Amino acid sequence: MMAMKGFTRRFKPLEILTEEQVGEIHRATLAVLWETGVTFHSERALKDLEKNGCKVDYDLKRARFPEYLVEEAIHRCSSSYRVKARDPKNDLVIGGDTVYFRNFPGMQTVDLDTWEPRDPTRQEYNDLITVLDALPNLHAISPYPYYGYEGVPPVMRIPEGVAIKIRNSTKVQMTGNASDSDQFNIKMVKATGGEAILMAAGSAPLTWYDDQIRATYRAMEVGFPMYILQGTISGATGPATVVGSVVVNLAEQLSLIVLVQLLTPGMRVAIASDTYPQNMKSGVPGFGRIGCALTKAVENQMARSYGIPTRDSASGPVSSKKSDFQTGYEKALNALVSALAGANLILIHGSLYGEITAHPLQAILDDDIAGMVGRFIEGVTVSDETLAVDLINEVGPIPGHYLNTAHTREWWKKEQFVPRAADSLAYPEWKKTGKKGALDYAKERMEEILATHKPTPLTPGQEEEIERILKEAREYYRNKDLISDEEWAVYMKSLESLNYPYG
Amino acid sequence: MSTEILENLKKAVMEYDHEGAATLARKAVEEKVDPLEALNALTVAVRQVGDGFGRGELWLPDLIGAAETMMSVMPILDEEIERKGAKRQSLGTVAIGTVYGDIHTIGKTMVATLLMAEGFTVHDLGINVTAETFVEAVKKYKVDILAMSALMTTTAPEQRKVISALKEKGIRDKVKIMVGGGGITQKFADEIGADGYDPTAPGAAKLARTLVGK
Repeated sequence: MMAMKGFTRRFKPLEILTEEQVGEIHRATLAVLWETGVTFHSERALKDLEKNGCKVDYDLKRARFPEYLVEEAIHRCSSSYRVKARDPKNDLVIGGDTVYFRNFPGMQTVDLDTWEPRDPTRQEYNDLITVLDALPNLHAISPYPYYGYEGVPPVMRIPEGVAIKIRNSTKVQMTGNASDSDQFNIKMVKATGGEAILMAAGSAPLTWYDDQIRATYRAMEVGFPMYILQGTISGATGPATVVGSVVVNLAEQLSLIVLVQLLTPGMRVAIASDTYPQNMKSGVPGFGRIGCALTKAVENQMARSYGIPTRDSASGPVSSKKSDFQTGYEKALNALVSALAGANLILIHGSLYGEITAHPLQAILDDDIAGMVGRFIEGVTVSDETLAVDLINEVGPIPGHYLNTAHTREWWKKEQFVPRAADSLAYPEWKKTGKKGALDYAKERMEEILATHKPTPLTPGQEEEIERILKEAREYYRNKDLISDEEWAVYMKSLESLNYPYG
Repeated sequence: MSTEILENLKKAVMEYDHEGAATLARKAVEEKVDPLEALNALTVAVRQVGDGFGRGELWLPDLIGAAETMMSVMPILDEEIERKGAKRQSLGTVAIGTVYGDIHTIGKTMVATLLMAEGFTVHDLGINVTAETFVEAVKKYKVDILAMSALMTTTAPEQRKVISALKEKGIRDKVKIMVGGGGITQKFADEIGADGYDPTAPGAAKLARTLVGK
């Protein structure tokens, strides 16, 4: 069966740990899981864990994990699996040597003149997803990626975003959850075919809150894959050392993996972490620093030793606020290391500062980085044809050349990756065409995509179903008193627009 | 002798030495050093570390290390202050927490620690704090300042909800409200009618002093 091709790493992954060190980190993780354990703010989870062999302290809400359970759970994880998309040609086969790229969310958009954040309009949200759908080196779409648009009350931001993603793209999407929104997300995805990658996000250090556990049980029930996300900040919510933070992360991730593999053996999971070094000046994470890649290189190697795929965000959030040099190096360096280190899903497109801002223009620029990194990991083919000895002998020394050979015509496009939004002109042409740079090309490409790319539409029946589920969600939260009268009035007015939901 | 103990106390705070500071605090009590003066020495030391942070010479772990060293010996001095019938001067009472739906703790804890070190009495309500809990705390502790953190734009509106709840109970004007966190901007703080906002933890501690006029 066809699936999204992505990139294939054709050489051994980067290993920054020796085999002994992998063992040491694993044993350290097992020690934490047994000696301290992990807090679960969920009676249900604690009971299920206890029933299956964990030691539970209900006062502390703490479960401690014996080694054999952890090993068994790791053993039950699938090392490679398919995730179904709305359009089967966009299915993903996650794991092994395959590398996919995905965007990273930003709560808001940025103004391209002032670079200040602001809420996107519904049109801008649709535009972002349309661009992501069009980009060739982007294989899946993130949770959110904007947190709603102007006029949407907070509790409806995730469901409205899921609907926009379904309406504007046939690529697999991941969905976040808050206030139990995953129940509506799942319904919408099921109504349109395919699957979503669900998410449970823990809280470092060593804690799972109840809403994330409820989402985990719902994921087990529906049978969609689930990414186990932890966001340890080294020096703040985890030890300042790279491997110490990895131990905290792995303990948290494996604790939930034990729960899901006990109850639903073989459930498709991935180890996902948003681990960054703490910025010791501002108190926010040190996004984009090389410590991100260093941590992920260790995590990828650990996950590979477990046979569990990874989702890697080293190149997702950056510290820069603009689409500039700093954003470029923060993303490119981290993405390249992650790809070399064997990450299966690399997060890069669209994001600017932290998880605060994202923009389709940045996604277009990042698509070139993804393409470059992807091309690199595909490596080289060594064969009679690529060695081209016959051809070299035939062409001989100067005045011989290769531009006119069939071999060149056949091979150059396979061998080269050509960036789309980069300045590659010589000076005379560059001057003549207005001295354009990468941002100018990216703007042109964005306009072109928005004018020409038409995502596969939903059927009228599917449209109706999405709208029905959204209506159900709106009423659910309204009845729960989570949308105020004031918010409701603004919200309802925004839905009255003639162009709803596509403008 | 007293001067020497006070100088050593300062030094212990500036070296983040919990044990040393505790030993010195006990020694100060034994040698009948005025506990209010000892307390003052601790505050001065934390301020010096804060100034070093402001100049870019020291870092967050230094700031938190100094503040927590001070906090760890406070009970020893507090006990003595009480025994002597003296009154520890507090700049005011603060209730602080991260709003409902938000479990980000670091920024909130940084501010709480620095406020304590500044000389405020601080009630840390923790994370995922509902509007009702904030309102209850304002009443129960008779707070001067209510401080709320929200890291995400999805949870920021909770701050508005808390302010509305305080208004409903008719106690909004009895308390100064300061807000912060990644999801908050000055514009948002103004919109919801907060009394102050600062994007950094040391800035928040200074803001608190301004809000109580100290």
